[in-house]
Amino acid sequence: MPKFTLDGREISFDPGETVMEAAWREGIEIPHYCWHPGLSVAANCRMCLVHVESGRQMEMPQLAFDEKKGEYVPTTKPKLQPACQLAAAEDIVVSSTNDEVKTAQASVQEFLLLNHPVDCPICDQAGECKLQDYYYEHQATLKRKLTEPVHKPKGVRFGPTIIYDAERCIMCTRCIRVCDEVAKDHVLDMRERGNKNEIVLAPGRELDHRYTLMTEHVCPVGALTSQDFRFKARVWFLKSGQGVCTGCATGCNTHVDYDPRYGKVYRLRPRDNADVNKYWMCDDGMMTYTRHDTDRLLMPTTGRGDERMPVGEDEALDLAAEKLKAVDASKLAVVLSAQHTTEDNLALAKLAAALGADQLYLAALGGWEGDDILRSDDNNPNRAGATQAAGGVTLKSVDDLLADAQSGAVQGVVALGWASAEQLEELAPLTALDGVVSLTSHVGAFPAVASVAIPVADIFEIDGSFVNDKSMPQAFRPVLAPPTGVDPAWKTISALAGKLGKDLGFQDLQSLRQGLSDAVEAAQ
Amino acid sequence: MLNNVGWSLAVEKLLQIEVPERCQYYRVILGELSRIADHFTCNGASAMELGAFTPFLWLLKVRDWVWDILERETGARMTHSFGRIGGMAAPPTASFKDDVRQLIPEVHKVVKETEIMLLRNRIFLDRMQGVGVLTKEQALSYGVTGPVARSTGIPYDVRKDHPYMVYDRFDFDVPIGEDGDNWDRFMVRLEEIRQSVRIIEQAIEQMPDDGPINVDDPRIVYPDKDEVYTTIEATIAHFKLVMEGLRTPKGEVYSFTEGGNGELGFHIVSDGSGTPYRVRVRPPCWYNLAASREMLLGGMIADIIPTFGSVNMIGGECDR
Ligand code: SF4
Ligand code: SF4
Ligand code: FES
Repeated sequence: MPKFTLDGREISFDPGETVMEAAWREGIEIPHYCWHPGLSVAANCRMCLVHVESGRQMEMPQLAFDEKKGEYVPTTKPKLQPACQLAAAEDIVVSSTNDEVKTAQASVQEFLLLNHPVDCPICDQAGECKLQDYYYEHQATLKRKLTEPVHKPKGVRFGPTIIYDAERCIMCTRCIRVCDEVAKDHVLDMRERGNKNEIVLAPGRELDHRYTLMTEHVCPVGALTSQDFRFKARVWFLKSGQGVCTGCATGCNTHVDYDPRYGKVYRLRPRDNADVNKYWMCDDGMMTYTRHDTDRLLMPTTGRGDERMPVGEDEALDLAAEKLKAVDASKLAVVLSAQHTTEDNLALAKLAAALGADQLYLAALGGWEGDDILRSDDNNPNRAGATQAAGGVTLKSVDDLLADAQSGAVQGVVALGWASAEQLEELAPLTALDGVVSLTSHVGAFPAVASVAIPVADIFEIDGSFVNDKSMPQAFRPVLAPPTGVDPAWKTISALAGKLGKDLGFQDLQSLRQGLSDAVEAAQ
Repeated sequence: MLNNVGWSLAVEKLLQIEVPERCQYYRVILGELSRIADHFTCNGASAMELGAFTPFLWLLKVRDWVWDILERETGARMTHSFGRIGGMAAPPTASFKDDVRQLIPEVHKVVKETEIMLLRNRIFLDRMQGVGVLTKEQALSYGVTGPVARSTGIPYDVRKDHPYMVYDRFDFDVPIGEDGDNWDRFMVRLEEIRQSVRIIEQAIEQMPDDGPINVDDPRIVYPDKDEVYTTIEATIAHFKLVMEGLRTPKGEVYSFTEGGNGELGFHIVSDGSGTPYRVRVRPPCWYNLAASREMLLGGMIADIIPTFGSVNMIGGECDR
């Protein structure tokens, strides 16, 4: 691989790469605003200026103050080049830290702050703002301009999800490019120039495609804020965990930002993964976090309709076991869930095997449109994993389950997951069966028709893995503790098996996972 | 105040910065005033514990005078939080030099009066002389510093031996004792008051009347509140300093100064972030108190009183 030198360090590059890209790959950040690894090069912010010290020097005319003459005289200074656009070349010597460059960085930074509003205390970006970081690292001087800053529109509604503040905007055009290049929708553009610059919507449009939150995500400052996250939390109180999006079978990698003080998740952010989601996520996926604390089932219940009442955890397991024992194994339907982890499904599949029940179904959500950007056609994160857990057999659908229940082939059900609310009507016939046990994190169709509903932990509360639509197993870690008395589903299933007098042959996640294919294990 | 400055100097050493000269003089004067207050208090209390209540009150009034000045300068009489990394919380007040100049003759007068009251008092002499003896060797082996070490004849004073700030510009002596007994410790402190006054006199003359107090770097010193409220640059600087702390380069320093009771050292390990990776304080009293065992062994129970008094233990320094 050819090499060049950056600040005394050798960097190898693929021909065609820019200096910025090659350095980024090596983990070196050359200060930048407008460059983003997932977007085209705009080279408009000039923060990334570097000095190519080798080769013929290009000089730029300038006026400099001459102490002796007491006046400005024409001189020259080295011409700097934007690292984001500078193609790496064999053996060039590049400096991003020499005095010329430092002056340039400080000046660019000073220019950017020239008309910037004093907003940090009310700005959602504060604490993760590039302007703040680079001010501290590269400028560190106080204001020299004495006149009133230029004022521009604030709090402009771009669409249902995004609010724009033109005063905070540094005109890096990342938001425009993310719409153009990722969402393939040219809905944003820039008007005017100089300090009248402003980002605007296309006439007659709103920012309403499926990737609007990515504009906020790429905005290096607080100019774009998300309607959802705005004024909800201060980022320095948030901790971050690693998750996988439950929105669809693509399985975008996420940062789960939560406040440990309240045990509350405030937002998701895409976690870079070149093989899955690159740098992006869709809006629906970004919002899946809100499921976590909406409509949770927190207590086991028994009985149906008006007779439904809460019971203790142990009692619920006893009741469930009693009801399931009454059903002949050949007439017992076991419903896996495409929303649950492979591990949870595997535990349930093992229970089915132990009981000798061989009617396996899969509950999955519907009502979703895919696209050819990120969104898969299947809005269940783990259909593949659930199928793997069942040993690769074809799983019947919930519709089949209803048919079988009506024909009498199914007389009892144990179901994982809540299925979707729309399915409530359809599932109503199941209320005719006495043994319907639902293991679920949320209120939904299954718990509504179940004679015993037992809460299990939600996705942010467990260790587990999904298999996405490219058959890639992806593991994630818990960020929050489950509600008191609530366990991960695989644990609850094992406890239920105990009550049924069966040993499923695993004690913990480790031993459970041994039953999974090598590929799944490799992801752990 | 001596602690404030000691800590600031340690972080400044890590940052490789030096505060403006005016600030250095200011720090020296405030520090020496504190030392005077300390020594008067210690000596006054030693006398009181031996039954001489009048000298206690008589000496402590100097402390009040000193504290009047410190209060005007810093806003607090005793628990000052006035030192800042990169400078001081505020510049000297307009009357600072005059206040100090007026204090000096009063200090001399009270030192003289102390001598008259106590140095020929039979009871005082008997309880102090030859009591609580610490030898030079013992002092060295315990790591004792400050007046307690100097009373045994060790001429170690950080201000002289490892001058920091502008101490090398002053003409002053390091008084030492011979016997390492209570008497010598008392006398060393009394003389150190005179030497502190000498330092102050010179510093007052040399200290510039204007010029900056703080280093000019918003990454280290908080910008003025006015600017924080009206300009984005200062807001960001303030935000960064509050939220992330003052970032120091990666590294490790040991920085030490002459505190009221001896060598006050700060060992800081920095991982380059805004909070120290590790801080270890070397408080003089921790070592001095350890050595008091040697002073007390073989003596009488009643000797604990003057001996303990002349060790001048500061509880907070031993609580670790
Ligand atoms: S964009 Fe950054 S610098 Fe501007 S107000 Fe927000 S946090 Fe402060
Ligand atoms: S809104 Fe943000 S991303 Fe868009 S141009 Fe302004 S600063 Fe850049
Ligand atoms: S990052 Fe290169 S010009 Fe903006």
